[in-house]
Amino acid sequence: MLRQAANGFAMLPLAHLLGRDASAQTVASNGSLGNNTIATDGNDGSLVRHHAPRARSIIFLYMDGAPSGQDLFDYKERLVKENGKPFGLPKEPTQFNKAGNTLGPVAKFKQHGESGQWISDLLPNLAKSADKLCVVRSMYADFSEHTNANYFLHTGHGLQGRPSMGAWIGYGLGSDAKNLPAFCVLNGGLVPPGGVDNFHSGFLPAHSQGSLFRMEGDAVANIKPLESDARQRKQLGLTRRLNQIAIEADGHDPAIDAAIANHELAFRMQTAVPDLLEIDGESEATREMYGCNDEYEHTRTYGRQCLLARRLVERGVRFVEVTMPDTGSDRWDQHGKLKRGLDRNCKTVDKPVAALLADLEARGLLDETIVVFGGEFGRTPFAQGSDGRDHNPFGFTMWMAGGGFKAGTSYGATDEYGYKAEQNPMSIHDLHATLLWQLGIDHERFVYRFGGRDLRLTDVYGNVVRDLLA
Amino acid sequence: MPRPHPMLLAPLWPNPLLALPPLLTALLMLVVLAPANLAQSTSPGPDEMPMAERFNHWAWQPLRVVTPPAAEHPVDGFIAAKLRAIALQPAPLAKPHEQLRRLWFDLVGLPPTPEALKRFGEHPSDADYLREVNELLASPQFGERWARHWLDLMRYCETLGHEFDFELPNAWRYRDYVIRALNQDLPYDQFVREHIAGDLLSEPRRDQDGNNESVQATASWWFVEQVHSPVDSMQHQADRIDNQIDVFGKAFLGMTVACARCHDHKFDAIPTQDYYSLFGFVQSSRYVQASLKEVPPESDAYQTALTRQREFSNLWLPDAKPVASGVTFRDEDVVIADANDHNSERDNSQWFVSNDAFGSAPWRGPFCANPNDEKPQLRQLPGAFWLSATAGTQREGTVATATFPLEHRYVHVRTAGDHSRLKLIVDGFHITRNPIYGDLHRDIDQQEAHWITFDVQMWLGHQAHLQAIDQRAPDLGDPRHNRGNYPDHCWIALQSVCNSPHDSPPETASLPQVVVADLASAKPKWLEAKQSLSDAVAALPVSPTIPAMADGSGIDSHVYLRGDHKRPGEAAPRRFLSALDAAATTAPKETSGRLELANSVLAKTNPMPPRVLVNRLWHHLFGRGLVKSVDNFGALGELPTHPDLLDWLAQDFTNHGWSIKHSIRRIVTSHTYRQRSRRRQDAVASDGDNELLHRQNVRPLEAEVLRDTLLAISGRLDSKLYGQSIEQPEDAVTNARGRPGRYGPLDGDGRRSIYLAIRRNFMPEMLLAFDLPTPFATVGRRNTSNVPAQSLALANAPLVHELCELFAKRVIEHSDNHAQRLQLAYELAFARKPSAQEMKPLLEFVGQNQDAKGEEEVRIWTDAVHAMVNTTEFRFRR
Repeated sequence: MLRQAANGFAMLPLAHLLGRDASAQTVASNGSLGNNTIATDGNDGSLVRHHAPRARSIIFLYMDGAPSGQDLFDYKERLVKENGKPFGLPKEPTQFNKAGNTLGPVAKFKQHGESGQWISDLLPNLAKSADKLCVVRSMYADFSEHTNANYFLHTGHGLQGRPSMGAWIGYGLGSDAKNLPAFCVLNGGLVPPGGVDNFHSGFLPAHSQGSLFRMEGDAVANIKPLESDARQRKQLGLTRRLNQIAIEADGHDPAIDAAIANHELAFRMQTAVPDLLEIDGESEATREMYGCNDEYEHTRTYGRQCLLARRLVERGVRFVEVTMPDTGSDRWDQHGKLKRGLDRNCKTVDKPVAALLADLEARGLLDETIVVFGGEFGRTPFAQGSDGRDHNPFGFTMWMAGGGFKAGTSYGATDEYGYKAEQNPMSIHDLHATLLWQLGIDHERFVYRFGGRDLRLTDVYGNVVRDLLA
Repeated sequence: MPRPHPMLLAPLWPNPLLALPPLLTALLMLVVLAPANLAQSTSPGPDEMPMAERFNHWAWQPLRVVTPPAAEHPVDGFIAAKLRAIALQPAPLAKPHEQLRRLWFDLVGLPPTPEALKRFGEHPSDADYLREVNELLASPQFGERWARHWLDLMRYCETLGHEFDFELPNAWRYRDYVIRALNQDLPYDQFVREHIAGDLLSEPRRDQDGNNESVQATASWWFVEQVHSPVDSMQHQADRIDNQIDVFGKAFLGMTVACARCHDHKFDAIPTQDYYSLFGFVQSSRYVQASLKEVPPESDAYQTALTRQREFSNLWLPDAKPVASGVTFRDEDVVIADANDHNSERDNSQWFVSNDAFGSAPWRGPFCANPNDEKPQLRQLPGAFWLSATAGTQREGTVATATFPLEHRYVHVRTAGDHSRLKLIVDGFHITRNPIYGDLHRDIDQQEAHWITFDVQMWLGHQAHLQAIDQRAPDLGDPRHNRGNYPDHCWIALQSVCNSPHDSPPETASLPQVVVADLASAKPKWLEAKQSLSDAVAALPVSPTIPAMADGSGIDSHVYLRGDHKRPGEAAPRRFLSALDAAATTAPKETSGRLELANSVLAKTNPMPPRVLVNRLWHHLFGRGLVKSVDNFGALGELPTHPDLLDWLAQDFTNHGWSIKHSIRRIVTSHTYRQRSRRRQDAVASDGDNELLHRQNVRPLEAEVLRDTLLAISGRLDSKLYGQSIEQPEDAVTNARGRPGRYGPLDGDGRRSIYLAIRRNFMPEMLLAFDLPTPFATVGRRNTSNVPAQSLALANAPLVHELCELFAKRVIEHSDNHAQRLQLAYELAFARKPSAQEMKPLLEFVGQNQDAKGEEEVRIWTDAVHAMVNTTEFRFRR
């Protein structure tokens, strides 16, 4: 029976090929999926499904460089009051070792919506969505350097080489998209420290790695044919004919059949990807809402990224990561010129993110899509130099929206300076476990055997934080 | 054997049994996805099995002497016996062109040339076949092909990764070392010995120019990722060494030793004590840039230079008297090392000198660093100094102290120099840069003796050593890295190092130090002496360098409880794995002990190195090892499909001088290797996954082979061997920190893919798409994926287009006759003639415009060969 399945491979729908490279060709992959007590070949082509999923896709708005919670979401009266005074708590060693006095928020805070979420005036549009957000103000991470922390946030491990969460999810769940990879990265222009390894498949088969869509030039590597359509079709015809003759001579081989299917698919992607990127079909109101016409160029870029993120999940892509455009302030990494950096970055993301939430909701997609907003760690409540904040892995804010997360909720808290997570601390592994849970995956049972060990996204840690879930 | 602490046995997984083979449904999915993955699912891991019982696992057993079943070729005897048991015969021989193409791709990673096709003919005899095998094994391209397999094991790369992706200077020389070693068929035991302890061999292997080959293998330890400004330097050291042990264990032993970092190995006979025993070997070793061609300081040439230096200085300062150092240490100063005491009764200090710049002893008296300067300067430093300028400033070298604990807040160093560096290395961390470590690096540009003070408050209690560097290669993440190499005229001098609670250096008497020579009015004999000094210095060859291991102080680590370096447990004296070294020989105190480690690894009683190696060869020749999990022979690895054959091959390998070429020849001359690869209906039920090798396997060309093949058939291949890596084109490099800053042409100058720069954060995109592994751990078995990115690259990548056009022009030039052109194209791309059935659509395609000439003709033929390149026959080796 098994054999038949293997032989019948060529008949599998193409979605399988793209989604998971069902290609018999993963043959010599270094490991194998283990420990899935329930594995299904459900209609959605997923490998793993431990329970009924609450969400289908994730959009990860990755705030590269680590925004400061104290300025955006984590309002602390003491910071305002004691601005400029000596810091009232012992300080941990920091990256730049130039810890100064207490530094209050650079802009005013107000409470918004029925939920009364504290949100900075720097994010006026997002503030209107306060009641959609599930804000966690007690995140902590294990690393205070960007690269380690980036790998940690993305892969659950502080060093290079592990699969990114998008790769895990794409690998485990496959893709509902017909002509698109399961894990897409909409690259605003900056690749975070640590490089594309943040989006890598690690030891998982290569097909699960994040496909990078650039916002300038060719969106996907080699997507644009260099010859005319007619020429390419003719060429493809000849290739097909020659492949066919070879099969007649040498018989079928699953690896070869898969490669042929793949070739055809790539040809079709040449149309599918430009279709995806062509946003002229969106209404003027929609484009306006996302900021695609904004006078600030980075808002335009990020607006297009957010709009594309919606189009991707609409098409069934499993995991979309949206990275920051280069606003000239070195990401959210404000070691100095805090106000200027925050102004630029907030202006870049505020309108598009609010639009994304509204648009997803209007289309009925917010229920099944988890939007995650946050960086690799937070920033110190005391100054670095005079007008900067240093890295702070001990307490920071992230928020989720949609996908079965409780709307209009606050969870956890930092101490009275916004320094360290104090109430209900939530780790990166907890975040991963919770996200997987919403997708129908039990993180403890989602393992892949590599190099003699069963490895998982959450290493040996992580708890599903049920308090966040509706 | 120490009994594991109960706490250390706390399960890593909620229920380890769940880690066992998936249920049938999951299995079914895996079959659909990856048939070959089905190979005997792992046998249940003997979790919690007492250590002693774990020795029963097959891989720990000694090599058995096996008699091959009767057959023309011993390999075939073993294979046929297993096939007979399931009533199968081996497949017939593959078609000649398939055999030839297979051989070329597997042995040299290139497609057969038309000449080779001709030579091989349509009906090759066994002798013809053997001749081809021997020619390929003897060709320099063999080393280029097989070196890449080895580089995968060593996670070869030329940068350190992390935020700024700093370069590992001269890393590429290691790649060349491996190519040479394979081409020379260096016995594998020697190859391994050089990897572990090539810097410590009493008689290192040298090439014909006298370059030290052995030391170059130790570069492999440094392809480890390094973090920029880690907040916890000890944690980072633990992580680095973990990766180094991981690679050591997997590559040489096929064992996942690093799994024993936090607890006894869950499944294999590797207690956590073993892990920290190995940890000590690495902790006792240091990173240096080693010279390939040291001139021994005791040699005549070197001594002549020193004598000339004395003579020149003496002429100048005939009455120069020895000058005292003038330093008075205080009671609280802990003197770590003092060159004044060298070889005296007071001397307890140990110095670690690498390369030849510093000679064999500290220098006293005047010296002239750069006699060829317009105004040569004669200088005298007070007291004795380790001095890098006495035999000329072009010598390469470092001098360092023993490793010492930072007990007090300040480290004072008396030094002098010109364009050189002094570094305080804490916990083995070399990237001394801001924000955290910047003050641990000092540029030394003051040529009078002076004190440098390091404030080490942040690292009190940590282990450190002080290093003075006079080398042209920049250090790891060197803050002056933008300057590129250091200039020729640099030198450094180091006298004493003390650790002190005082923030000011010890009292020092001041002395006049500099005499500037004015050669304009020089006497002829001075000029003569200067000339003979210059000549003596010029007679000493200048050496390139390579990242390498060097011995530091012998350090035994402690077990870190649950892998936490803040919780040291019992001591773990340096020794090899207890399961393989019953004698429990521990390492000497004075050295790292790596030489002893190498000897233990290669002891006759250790079956791992030969078994693991022949299995790797088999893997590369069949696409799957006899043990499928090539890097893990442990309890969680796969069982061997042909254990007798594996042991026989391993014995045959060691009996033939650990010759890799011998074993490859042995395997590829078997019928098993030469048989057809097409699927057989008669084997579907009994050996569907071809574990028993009733046929050869069909495999996609690897990334490098694919690119090299395109270069070869288009005529663009530059077969030049060795040298600095070729960088990527600028527009192919993502906009992220650590961009290389230098770039190369789209076609990489036509050089083979092994010469393309491997930068951790900027990997060559096209090769990545075809499964070039990310260099972070040992990868003995690459992923072989099948993704749209691959098809897109072959369809649309500008490089592929460029090469197809060259390919087209090549066949156009070959003949005016379409059929003849197609014949050449087929020979190049597929190593055969096109069939009549194929000729028809091909001729139709190129004949669409019979009279096309010039650009139009090139266009049509480019499309035709491009279509060929996109066929599966092109992309696969049958």
